[in-house]
Amino acid sequence: MSPDSSTATTSPTASPTAEVQDLVAIFCRVLESTDVVADSDFFELGGDSLIATRVLSAIARGHGVELSFEDFVLAPTPEGLAAKIAAGR
Amino acid sequence: MSGPRDAATGSAAEPTAGRPVATAVVVGAGLAGLTAAAGLTARGIEVTVLEARDRVGGRTHGLAVAPGRQIDAGAAYLGDRHTELLSLVAELDLKTTPTTMLGASRFALGAQHATRDGRFPPLNAVALGDMFELLDELTAAVRPEAPWLTPDAERLDTTTAAAWADEHLTHPDARLFFPLFLGEMMAADPADVSVLHLAFYLRSGGGIRYLNAFEGGAQQDRIDGGAHQVCERLAERLGTRVRLGEPVLAVHQDADGVTAHSTRGSYRADVAVVALPPLLADTIDYRPGLPVRRAGGRTARGCAVKVNLVYPEPLWRQHGLSGWSVNAEGPLLSTVDDSPAADGVGVLTGFVTGSEAHRFAALDARRQRAAAVEQAARLFPMLPPPIGFHVTDWVNEQYSQGCYAALFGPGDWLRHGPTLTTAHHRVHWAGTETSTEYFGLMEGAIRSGTRVVAEILTRL
Repeated sequence: MSPDSSTATTSPTASPTAEVQDLVAIFCRVLESTDVVADSDFFELGGDSLIATRVLSAIARGHGVELSFEDFVLAPTPEGLAAKIAAGR
Repeated sequence: MSGPRDAATGSAAEPTAGRPVATAVVVGAGLAGLTAAAGLTARGIEVTVLEARDRVGGRTHGLAVAPGRQIDAGAAYLGDRHTELLSLVAELDLKTTPTTMLGASRFALGAQHATRDGRFPPLNAVALGDMFELLDELTAAVRPEAPWLTPDAERLDTTTAAAWADEHLTHPDARLFFPLFLGEMMAADPADVSVLHLAFYLRSGGGIRYLNAFEGGAQQDRIDGGAHQVCERLAERLGTRVRLGEPVLAVHQDADGVTAHSTRGSYRADVAVVALPPLLADTIDYRPGLPVRRAGGRTARGCAVKVNLVYPEPLWRQHGLSGWSVNAEGPLLSTVDDSPAADGVGVLTGFVTGSEAHRFAALDARRQRAAAVEQAARLFPMLPPPIGFHVTDWVNEQYSQGCYAALFGPGDWLRHGPTLTTAHHRVHWAGTETSTEYFGLMEGAIRSGTRVVAEILTRL
């Protein structure tokens, strides 16, 4: 086992898949849509800056990580934001 | 006063037209009153419209900024959910034009001015998100067709938006932005509206996102040449049925009919439509008296003063700016590019809202101009001095008493909501404040006019 993977297995964080699923659910809620998948672009689904902040609020509450509006714009998909959350821990 | 009486009873109508099925007198030639009048006329009812001002249009008003270039000094924006307005626009052979929002925005929310792409302010995004989540929760919980039946309505109705913000908004950025947001959305100071009204207003207009958005939202388009043309064209069709310069002082009813007494005459009809904002409707003497007044002790005037700065062309666009700005300090709390669609002059519209509107309105014309022009120069340093400058003070406008719409304060919805659309014998109520759909917007005004037509047809 490499040192990297042993760090990953001992870390008590949720699995990436669960995080992505949670973000899909947040997108669905604020966009009032059911057409969200892991790589759905928030802005292409009709999202705007106002409701993007609601996603950031939900992330801060649910995952304890405060992302900036710029973070969101750079990675406006469930999997992109999951990566930002992981990087922010 | 035999002239007006004849006109109203129909005896002055063309003999070939035959006897009208009924007569109606409409008080107020804004969008609601004119929609009602047009609808009743189309069904063979003989209508007289009494308008206090020397113009029609109410809270829509055109302003000439250059030869052949009119802009909106009042209501201006619409979106694709405003279906009644859009079909009226099409029917009247008018066109819409998109509200331009391309380029970067300017923000003066702290010590320094900032330029940023898009409309998002340089504030803590999570703090604003927390605020919008709370507002969305309130908005989702409200009963839009009957706000007084909302769960926990009593508490929401007695709490002001200011008290709510004090309790729920902890981050300084949210506290800074909340009054600016309320000013933009509903021309309200947070102390003036109940939480129930705030939640209802946002819900009625299609939710926070729709109400706030330009593209894909309630500010997507304008009416090319000005929204007042809708009223002007409706009035043209109604012809001599519309009588200007006749403020109505009293509406008296008896067993056989209703009489509207204006400053110039008396108009007898089978039914009346009062299409006025609630504060103005309450200045009329009703007999028999109203069981519940139209406005409450805390009903406030919508606090909007609109400032239009005219430039030789929309010069900010050459600098990659949209003309949109948001500012913590007044008088211009936000600015937007309201340039006419055709080539030529550029127009920046500044919104002076909430308590700032009262402060600004109290200044003399010279000080108003100095303050607004100076602020515009700080926000857009590349611009030359404006070639034209216009202030429209809706707060103190005698025959509107506020704009965008009346602000329902603590207690108003529970006391006045249930009778908002209840006819007082032969008197029916229209106006955007009587529409639970798109309350406060042009769309709400039109829907109220249509509702009143249906009510009257049922009665007859």
